[in-house]
Amino acid sequence: MICMAYARLLLPLVLVSLLPGCATFSRDGGFDQVASTVKAKTGKEIRWVKSEDERHALDARIAQLLQQPISVDDAVQIALLNNRGLQASYAELGISEADLVQAGRLPNPRFSMLRASRDGEYKIEQALTFNIFSLVTMPKATAIERRRFEQTQRQVSLEVLRLATATRKAYFSALAAAQSERYMQQVMRAAETSATLAQRMKKAGNWSTLDEAREQGFYADATLGASRARQASLQATEQLTRLMGLDHTHYTLPERMPDLPAHAEDPANLEQTALQQRMDVQMMKLQTEALAGQLGLTKTTRFINVLELGPARVLEGRRSDPYKNGVEISLEIPLFDWGSTRVARAESTYMQAVNQLAQVAVEARSEVREGYGRYRASYDIARQYRDSVVPIRQKIAEENQLRYNGMLVSVFDLLADARAQIASVNSYIEALRDFWLSQSDMEMALIGKPDFSTPASALTAQ
Amino acid sequence: MVSRRDFLKGASLAGVAATAATVSKVAMAALPEIISVSDADTQAPHMPDTGRPYNPVVTLNGWTLPWRMRNGVKEFHLVAEPVVRELAPGMKAHLWGYNGQSPGPTIEVVEGDRVRIYVTNRLPEHTSMHWHGQRLPNGMDGVTGLTQPGIKPGKTFAYEFVAQRAGTFMYHPHADEMTQMAMGMMGFWVTHPKNPATMAVDRDFVFLINAYDIDPGAYTPRINTMLNFNLWTFNSRVFPGISPMVVNQGDRVRIRVGNLSMTNHPIHIHGHEFMVTGTDGGWVPPSARWPEVTTDIAVGQMRALEFKADAPGDWAFHCHKSHHTMNAMGHDVPTMLGVEQRDLKQQLQGLLPDYMAMGQHGMADMAEMQMPLPDNTLPMMSGQGQFGGVEMGGMFTTVKIRKGIAKHDYRDPGHYQHPAGTVAWEVENDLPPVERPADTDAHGGVEVQVRKPGDHMQH
Ligand SMILES: [Cu+2]
Repeated sequence: MICMAYARLLLPLVLVSLLPGCATFSRDGGFDQVASTVKAKTGKEIRWVKSEDERHALDARIAQLLQQPISVDDAVQIALLNNRGLQASYAELGISEADLVQAGRLPNPRFSMLRASRDGEYKIEQALTFNIFSLVTMPKATAIERRRFEQTQRQVSLEVLRLATATRKAYFSALAAAQSERYMQQVMRAAETSATLAQRMKKAGNWSTLDEAREQGFYADATLGASRARQASLQATEQLTRLMGLDHTHYTLPERMPDLPAHAEDPANLEQTALQQRMDVQMMKLQTEALAGQLGLTKTTRFINVLELGPARVLEGRRSDPYKNGVEISLEIPLFDWGSTRVARAESTYMQAVNQLAQVAVEARSEVREGYGRYRASYDIARQYRDSVVPIRQKIAEENQLRYNGMLVSVFDLLADARAQIASVNSYIEALRDFWLSQSDMEMALIGKPDFSTPASALTAQ
Repeated sequence: MVSRRDFLKGASLAGVAATAATVSKVAMAALPEIISVSDADTQAPHMPDTGRPYNPVVTLNGWTLPWRMRNGVKEFHLVAEPVVRELAPGMKAHLWGYNGQSPGPTIEVVEGDRVRIYVTNRLPEHTSMHWHGQRLPNGMDGVTGLTQPGIKPGKTFAYEFVAQRAGTFMYHPHADEMTQMAMGMMGFWVTHPKNPATMAVDRDFVFLINAYDIDPGAYTPRINTMLNFNLWTFNSRVFPGISPMVVNQGDRVRIRVGNLSMTNHPIHIHGHEFMVTGTDGGWVPPSARWPEVTTDIAVGQMRALEFKADAPGDWAFHCHKSHHTMNAMGHDVPTMLGVEQRDLKQQLQGLLPDYMAMGQHGMADMAEMQMPLPDNTLPMMSGQGQFGGVEMGGMFTTVKIRKGIAKHDYRDPGHYQHPAGTVAWEVENDLPPVERPADTDAHGGVEVQVRKPGDHMQH
């Protein structure tokens, strides 16, 4: 009887739940979309590791990549496969998809019951309520959740790409730091030789304590410089190790950084490309669209999730008395504002998103301009080092050698000059590193917010 | 007419080629032709073909300016102009000089000659000509501002006076001296006695002492240098670029030296003793002369040295300041004597691929090694003799005395062939090998050398 009454009431709900267009869980949980975006932007593969076997396969592949000196592409690939933070963020996809699927399903009916008794007097209230309004809101809610899900996919893609960029930058920083360390050791050797000769000059009676101390001072400074360079190299290597998700540093980097490209890229329509491609812009756009949908919904109904309908029966009096059957409708009635506060809130939320989108767009354009400016300047600086500063220092060294041959300058001048020459090569290495960093930043600026923070080189001794 | 042809004839007579003598293409009817010479070889004496006879001089690595006679006046034409002077094979200097060379050509006249010298200025700034040591009207003394206006670029002035006193003189500008003399503007002047028999000698060499500061690899002298010159020259030449003074054995030889550098030079001859027979003021009375092998020639002074070249051989002739017999060298290079470098060689060559250890045993390494030097830079000591490197640069040459050299022949006779048994020889010795203590401590009895800070005067 009661069951019959419930069944009658539930029937429309069941019908509604059979309506087409209901969301279901996808096979890949939205991961394929992310993977293809990453593939398109970086040419790299990502995996969502869900089992021990997959983990082992991945470990084997990484171990193989680590056998040779790793290229920047290897480093990025290892990071994308191995970084555990990334695996954690893939879970976001599942969560978001669950929300999406949930939005496409009917809310569960709610059963409520009140039972009270005194001296054999009872009060029992039972109600099964169901938010029938969700039937009206479901399509829109699903659309909103779909956008949210797409947003999450972009969010995850962006995280992957950000990690790729960070790894590239860490790779170049580590490579440059290792190269700098070697150069600083050469500087130290030059200074050490000077100091040794100075000691002998002093011993032979040719030099004063002052002259000797001056050379010892250079040596002491150069030793400091070499220690700093070693420290900077260690830090840069560990940074790369962390990003690659490795628990050891048993890998080798190449001896030299890649050469400066023959020409600096001169991409057209940078700002337009950034607006079209940047995922933060796209995400803000999706959010704005979602909020617009929500606002439209709010404006249409002036209610959000406020009407619930369900069968109810009430017992009042003795336990043996019959229940009174009925329907309970709970309705939040906006007596005073008819939902205007909710509308105002939705409107404000929407306008907030609109302005945030505008801000993100302005920043994106500016960042891509700055990114390109940095890229261009660092290219020119590196080229100036390569084509002018280093060859000129080389020329100076050669001319000084000729002067030494003519006993016009001393071996100390040659050694001091060798230090300066090595420093110029080191500066070129740093300029080359800055170029590769800024190149990574510029590419990042086209797909998301770049990180223009200064590289670890601040530690590198001069 | 103009004596260019005769001049060339005179030159070729002595077998010295006057190469590339050029004549101004600009018709200057009223002015004597401009004659200039483009190489730095010693030219044969210029035999007088007009005017009073005299015994001509030979200018070391230079030449004598021909003249023309016009209404009884000897007319010369000097052109002040930028020149390229070869200081020695392998090094050229961008100087200012006269008629293609620095120093300019020697002017030879005879006591009592009326002389008119045209001076044309082809320099970028005004100049003048001072006739050092001459008695002349004050207005002919050539001091800009004081006795005449400067000769502006492109202008020609005439100087005219009577060569009153026989003797040895110089000419040089008295306008922006610091620049113009540092750039090599100077020349020699000889006034011969009326009677060629007076103080006659068989060979009469003349040259000026001057100095330049040219950075290794550069061409133009640093005109603001006061004392720290790096090229000490006879007639703007350095050894091994200075011609030998070729003499027939038994000749009476005069060497006239004028000093237009900024320091004194003790000029020294080997194998002979000489008398200083003349100064700027004239002949030294025989009773006042004394024999010497070195005579100091102060700044702005002239000295005539005379000796009988009776000892055959290749005799050194040089300034006795040892830095003046060196070419460009590093004055701030520390002394490497006794500092072992060989064991550091590998480490040094890692940083300096072309490094060679030098200086541990002295600087003679320098003359031996013949390593590449900066452009336009001479080794600080070089020149090869028959027994090896001469290890000299700068103010160094030889007096080559041989039997049977013809009267006007100044060609280099080559190395002296020593008669048997007249060259120092090596003797066998059974002495223990030289041993030096490995590391002498500076404090172990080595006297401390006190050097004032900032005292960089090298000469
Ligand atoms: Cu001297």
